[in-house]
Amino acid sequence: MRGPRRRGASTPPPPPAVVVPVRRIRSAFAVVLVLIGLTVAQLVQVQVVDGAEHAARGERQRLRTVELPAVRGRIYDREGAVLATSVDAAAVHADPAAFRPTTRPDGTRVPAAGDRREVARALAPLLDLDPVALADRLDRDGRFVYLARQVDLATAEAVMDLRLPGIGMHVEPRRAYPSGGTAAQVVGFTGIDGAGLQGLEASHDHVLRGRSGTLLVEHAPGGLAIASGERELVPAEPGADLVLTLDREIQHVAERVAADVSARYDALGATVVVLEVGTGDVLGMASAPTFDPNARRTGDAAAWRNRAVTDLFEPGSTQKALTVAVALESGAITPATAFDVPDRLTVGGHTFTDVSRHGVERWTVGDVLARSSNVGTILVAERIGEEALREGLLALGQARPTGLGFPGEVAGHLPAADAWWATTLPTVAIGYGTSTTLLGLATSYATLANDGVRVTPRLVRGTVGLDGRLEPAPPAAAERVLSDRTAGVVLELLGAAVDGPGATGGLAAVPGYRVGGKTGTARKPLVDAAGYSDQYVASFVGVAPLDDPRLVVAVMVDAPQGAYYGGAVAAPAFAEVMHASLLARRIVPDGSGRSLDELVRSAAAAPAPTAP
Amino acid sequence: MSALAVVRPRPAAGPDVGAPSARGPRAAAPAATGRVRLAVAVSVLALGAGALFGAVALNASAAQAAVTARRLEGEVRAAERHHADLLVDVAELEDPARIRARALELGMIPAPAARHLVLRRAIAADGAPDPVLPGVADPLKPVLTQER
Repeated sequence: MRGPRRRGASTPPPPPAVVVPVRRIRSAFAVVLVLIGLTVAQLVQVQVVDGAEHAARGERQRLRTVELPAVRGRIYDREGAVLATSVDAAAVHADPAAFRPTTRPDGTRVPAAGDRREVARALAPLLDLDPVALADRLDRDGRFVYLARQVDLATAEAVMDLRLPGIGMHVEPRRAYPSGGTAAQVVGFTGIDGAGLQGLEASHDHVLRGRSGTLLVEHAPGGLAIASGERELVPAEPGADLVLTLDREIQHVAERVAADVSARYDALGATVVVLEVGTGDVLGMASAPTFDPNARRTGDAAAWRNRAVTDLFEPGSTQKALTVAVALESGAITPATAFDVPDRLTVGGHTFTDVSRHGVERWTVGDVLARSSNVGTILVAERIGEEALREGLLALGQARPTGLGFPGEVAGHLPAADAWWATTLPTVAIGYGTSTTLLGLATSYATLANDGVRVTPRLVRGTVGLDGRLEPAPPAAAERVLSDRTAGVVLELLGAAVDGPGATGGLAAVPGYRVGGKTGTARKPLVDAAGYSDQYVASFVGVAPLDDPRLVVAVMVDAPQGAYYGGAVAAPAFAEVMHASLLARRIVPDGSGRSLDELVRSAAAAPAPTAP
Repeated sequence: MSALAVVRPRPAAGPDVGAPSARGPRAAAPAATGRVRLAVAVSVLALGAGALFGAVALNASAAQAAVTARRLEGEVRAAERHHADLLVDVAELEDPARIRARALELGMIPAPAARHLVLRRAIAADGAPDPVLPGVADPLKPVLTQER
């Protein structure tokens, strides 16, 4: 153990004092703390405060949502023949910026990728467009412009084979109508984006269009999809198919006959409606002139109209059967009731005349109808009075919507009860001063043919969904408006109006079938003035087979030239359509045909037919 | 507990003259531990490599399947497109207006007056003889309702 050091002894110098820079350390520590704090704050800002935004931005950069358009449903006739369907087509587009020199943010000047005039010249023959117009489109502002739409895929692929700068294509659906103009006014058409614009395409757009789907894909910066990347598919739901009541064969005949009769008489137009009795199914609905929905831009837009439901006309003498039906139903007359009928009658200061001059004849109701006597019909109407006639015609569907629900359908017109003058009763009784559509008139006759039960006409049998099964449309509404006895009597009278003595509808006869029907000839009212023009509407409405009516056919010819009587112009057209419709529906003749021996003998005696 | 702890030599219970010194066993333990560590490391590396290979293989397989799926989707789309085109072609060929025009081109003429022949069997569907046709020799032979 060492003892205490002595004073004066040599001792080692003390170690130098260590100076700790506490303040510096504290300052540095504070700086570090501040930096760490700033870093943490930035981290919180990025990860927490703006986290969602950054995440969304990242997703936007790598994820792309592609809309998958739904396949639009097809439209079939009642037998499954395709009237409208969708096929793939292509849209050719361009990026006009590719044809302009640009400057990057760093000041670098980027030359144009190509010359727009050269590109336009290369594209013009393929797209069947004017090269100057194409070049103008390529000169527009913006980054996207359509050059052509709904072009064939082969054409678009030929365009892409040219490898032109700034030119691209994408697939888009195109509506196709493979039967051309068949039922064009009924089916309608869609716009370039697939939305229904006209006809059933428009009214049933919600059924046909389906629901679009989406495809979420992850892609690389270059735009190429990453095969094993994120992928989320929400499949598109295709639209339901629409099955119509139309029969394509009957529709074709109706359209052909409408076009033929319109051309033969140089008429403004012609319309044909074929209805099935009992169901209200519209088997045919044709108007001339018509159009091809595949090339509708080249035709007259007036031809798009479904005249059977949009055009009103005064029914003329076809109204007389309805007047007689109302009179019979009211009990004011019976089938045996006879009238002394002159050839002219003055009512309310206006003189009504029959078409043909005759003395005072003793005619039954059947004779009045068969001869289409205006005076006789007025005498019948006077038995029932204004109110009963008006109510009866309304019950038969006049001036009421048919219930078809077709776009643009009009209801017709019948003067209000307080607007009847002294001449209104005789005028309305013979089919003037009131108006209807051809479908409305056919529906009234279908009521007569259906034992007095009015059935709402319909164009849609049902829809076909993904399971391929037909979902039938609700049955048509039915309402009794006449007794079956009245309806039967009027049908017999209509039969006499075709095959009876002095009948005006003789040319409506159909070989092998008994037919009942009524001619109509009405002067057209002036468009912008009171009174009537010198143009006529010729019409015929009839049913067959008369013993068990199955079909109603109505024909209306607008302003025929040369001949204008319904019995001469519309009745033959009726016979042709009715005959073809009866055969198409496999409806058995009702016994008015001849024996086989007679047929063979007549065929042998007849001159050999020649091709038209 | 780690694997190293298992092989750590236990301390001797008491003095042992004949036993090697305490330094001897302590010198042998690191060699054993090193081998074990090496084995573990190799195992871990092998496991990692296997996992990596498996992940890569799985990813490649998924990518291959995705590519196949895309190709099949494209083929389905092309087949659907072909079907739609064929449907249009058939509908165009079936168009009554086209058929009529073609028939006229071929020299055919519209039938002047088509007729129905209504056939009636001599026996009803239930096998009972038809009383209205008593004299028919062959009951299954259809006869015409029209007068011969």
